[in-house]
Amino acid sequence: MLRVKAGDVDRMGLLFERYHRPLFGFLYHMLGRAASCDDLVQTVFYRMLKYRHTFTGDGEFRTWMYHLARNVLADFIKKNRHAAHHTDVADLAEHLPGGINADAGLEQAQDVAQLHQALNRLRPEDREILVLSRFQELKYAEIARVLGTTEGAVKVRVHRAMNELKTTFLRIEN
Amino acid sequence: MNCEETKEQLVDYLSRQLSAPEHEALAAHLAECAECRDELQAVERVWHTLGQAPVPEPGPQARPEFYAMLASFKEELETSPDYSLRGVLAWLRALPIPRPALRLAYSLCLLGVGLLGGYWLNSSTKPAAADQQQLAVLAAQVGEMRQVMLLSLIDNPSATERLRAVGYTKELPDPNAKVVNALLSTLNHDDNVNVRLATLEALTPLAQADATVRLGLVHALAQQESPLVQAALADAMVQLQERRSVQPLRRLLKQANLDDMVKSKIEQSIQTLSDGPPAAPATPQRHDQTQLSPQPAGAALAV
Repeated sequence: MLRVKAGDVDRMGLLFERYHRPLFGFLYHMLGRAASCDDLVQTVFYRMLKYRHTFTGDGEFRTWMYHLARNVLADFIKKNRHAAHHTDVADLAEHLPGGINADAGLEQAQDVAQLHQALNRLRPEDREILVLSRFQELKYAEIARVLGTTEGAVKVRVHRAMNELKTTFLRIEN
Repeated sequence: MNCEETKEQLVDYLSRQLSAPEHEALAAHLAECAECRDELQAVERVWHTLGQAPVPEPGPQARPEFYAMLASFKEELETSPDYSLRGVLAWLRALPIPRPALRLAYSLCLLGVGLLGGYWLNSSTKPAAADQQQLAVLAAQVGEMRQVMLLSLIDNPSATERLRAVGYTKELPDPNAKVVNALLSTLNHDDNVNVRLATLEALTPLAQADATVRLGLVHALAQQESPLVQAALADAMVQLQERRSVQPLRRLLKQANLDDMVKSKIEQSIQTLSDGPPAAPATPQRHDQTQLSPQPAGAALAV
């Protein structure tokens, strides 16, 4: 990224290849649907180019990327407030890898779908911190940098969000 | 380690973010606490199931779209170099600065410009004052030089040079007594009529303010032989309303070789001076302009 900042804009291609999937995953989990995620990925990469001077290089590229992604997401949600947040569970099942043996596969798929449903019912802050921790596999220190808070606060919030998710999930399950 | 602490660390344990001693302590507690083992199992289930949540692939058009965007961005970058004024402006506009902050910065800039301008104006008046002072000194020096020139030229054998010296009188802002004496002596003793006339012309305006000059002019009446100068002196007397000149003028009339024209002129002047201010001045326009209210005779006598 530092080379992109220095003017070697072509290097952005490399970053796209490496990070556009995780970024897509983050946006997908945060929005709960795949629609618009492609556009948002484009927006995030465009902003990275446009605001490349704001990349200081002392943090990791990933944290900076998620930081920008959060802003893009917030703008998007503000613009589309009327469009209710929803997940199509049936749609989700379609994406499951095929070839899973009927019974076990079905049960697991149900679990996954229910859990995803539970995740979407969490407050956006709780969902965000879990997505960053579980799906994006960011360390607490990195999450703290993305959110602009301390590592200790992140730890507490992850724990609380996990409890919340667990109870919501159990409620859906029963 | 108690159960509360353990439960708080389960997620950290699952995401492998515990330090080695923390990990050991947690494992030790789990080995002896069944409740915490159950809790771990529950959390682990959620954690793992969450991990299995499928993420759809980005659309197939994502990559080409990105490269198209990159290409157009590069083009944009090349067409407008970043260091031009417009580039800087665009960069400034693109900065995610909140509006009020921008306004505040703008007003601070304006204030700064105002302060700088004021400071600059204030400091630039000082040199101007110094300039003026210098100018005044220079002007005074030029005046002094003219005086010296006048005094040296007035004794020059060449009539032209003497005329020039007399001409300098007009340019002297405040001729001193030395100059006045030199001029009066020129008026009385110069061989050249033209020089004497010019001297008289130069002295007349001075006589308005200087009583010595008036007295000198009155005395000069008796010493003049040239009809032209006599006539001009008579005019000057009328212009200055110098009543003391009536006596010398009468004496002048008694001279045998007096020019007829001058005679009538003097008679006219005596008439005017005895009667009061003239109805229509016989002197040229130039003298009119210097015709101020006549000084009381007493003031002149007091000197």
